[in-house]
Order: sequence, then C-alpha cells, then structure tokens
Amino acid sequence: MYKELDPVLHSQLRLAIMSILISTEEADFVFIRENTGATSGNLSVQLDKLKEAGYIEITKTFRGKIPRTICKKTPAGLEAFEKYVETLKSYIGLE
Amino acid sequence: MDTHLNEKESLELIGKMINSAKNNLQKGLGDIFLLWGYLVAIVSLSIFILLVVLPGESSYYSFFLWSMMAIGVPFHISLIRKMEQQKLVKTYIDKIMGSVWIAFTISVITMMAGILITTVLVLPSFTEVEPGHEFLRWIPWTLFTPFMLCLYGFALFVSGKAYQFKPLVTGGIICWIATLVLLVSFHHPHLLKIQEFVLFVAVIFGFIIPGHLLRKKENGHV
Repeated sequence: MYKELDPVLHSQLRLAIMSILISTEEADFVFIRENTGATSGNLSVQLDKLKEAGYIEITKTFRGKIPRTICKKTPAGLEAFEKYVETLKSYIGLE
Repeated sequence: MDTHLNEKESLELIGKMINSAKNNLQKGLGDIFLLWGYLVAIVSLSIFILLVVLPGESSYYSFFLWSMMAIGVPFHISLIRKMEQQKLVKTYIDKIMGSVWIAFTISVITMMAGILITTVLVLPSFTEVEPGHEFLRWIPWTLFTPFMLCLYGFALFVSGKAYQFKPLVTGGIICWIATLVLLVSFHHPHLLKIQEFVLFVAVIFGFIIPGHLLRKKENGHV
C-alpha cells in the first residue's frame, strides 16, 4: 500500500522552493526566482501556499530603499520535506 | 505554473535545486581580503624599510605604525554592511565560516590584550631594565606575528576547503610555513626585520592573491 505524497510539496515550483530552503539558512525572493526560473507572480502565490501550510517563514525587510523578501524553512517544513523524500524513496523502490 | 511531477522528476529537481545553492561565494568577500591584505602589506613593508634604514634603538619606534591598522576597521564595517545588503542567500557554509572568522578575530584580540597587559603592566612591575633599554619589555610582541599567522593559516585553510577554493588553501599552507620560519629564527640577530619581511610575503599569498582571485570568481571570470 503506497503512502500518499504531500500535495503541498508535490508540485514542481513548491518542491523547488523547498529544496532551496532545505539546503540554505535563508534565501532571498530574487535568488529563488533566478534559480527556479519562475515568474514573480507565480512565485509569490506558491510562497504564500507554503507559508499557509506552515512550511516556511517569510520576512519582509528593506535593502536600502528597496524592499526584500527573505524566506526560511520552519521545523515543520523540514519534517514535511524529509517525509516527502522518504515516501518518494518507497515509491521508486529504494526502501 | 503548478506542474505535478513523477517520482523520478521530483528527485532530480531536489538534487538540481540543492546544487544551485551550494558553494555560492558571497559577493564582496574578495574586497575584505584586499582591504586587510594591502593594509598589512604596506605597514609591514614600511616597518621593514624603517628597521633597515633607521639607526639603533630609534628604529623600534617604527612599530607604532601598526596603529594604522585601526584605519581598516570603519572600511571593514562598511564592506560587511554592503555584503549583507547584497546577499541573496545564506548557506550553512556562510554561517560556519562567519563563526570561524569571528573566532579568529577574537583570538587575535585576546593575544594582543594579553601581550599589551604584560608589556605595560606586568613586566614593568616585576623586572628592572637599564634606562634607555625599555624596549626590552616589548620582547613578548615578537611572539605575536608567528601565532597570528598560524591562526590565520588555520582560518584560511578551513575557508578554502569549505568553499572549494584552492588559492585560500595554498595561502593557508604558506602562512603555516611562514610561522615555522619565524619560530625557528628566534635566535637570529635580525629577527625583527625577518618577521616584518616574512609577514609581508605571507600577506601577499594569504590575502592579496586570494583576494584578487576571489573578486575574479565573484565576477564570474574564473
């Protein structure tokens, strides 16, 4: 019986965002946008979904006069990501 | 876009994104190396020249040139601020390396404070020197350069390995060789001149060359 993959993470862009945040302490909106190749609008929507799920924290601050958005994973996000990878492994027969 | 993936695609995407954030050298790191590199190089070379040119004990006053290092502090703070503002991502390597360099700075300040206390307070209370030979109390400072270089080599080596940037590793090894040279030349009558000259050479390999190479790498030329 297969376990179900977390629907919040099982989407291309949200998974890409979480993968970046898993391997970093924190990342700027611009960095995530450049590395995922997403549009600003779509990225904002997906970041909000991850925030609503409690997987990431978003801090809005200023760099000089330019506003910046800093994203960081939460412990719940890390746990969900680990669970997602474990489920993936069971799907492809690594476990 | 909210495309769903198959399991294999999911794993590939995770791997690709994790790699994109790896070894991301912070922009501005090279400028910090260059600031301290050129400052130490100018001061050590100037002191070396003054030690050679000035006669006798009067040449020892040239060591006061080290107070010029204070000039670097405001520039350092402004460069760090600029770096913080430009930084788009903070990796775990950045976090650990930040702590290594803070530890290096605290170690150097601790050594300076200890030597300063013993030179100014402890030694004058317990030892008597002939008038005109007060410079003898400053002898503990001769230990400062080799120990500082040894610590610097340590921080440089660890940074080079963490960021996988060979010039920093090479710089670290050269600083350790310089430490060895300084510690085995303690008997030498020209110890002070040797110290300043070796420091000058070590700084070229430990700060200036890696600093320029870092800047090139930051700008994507390496």
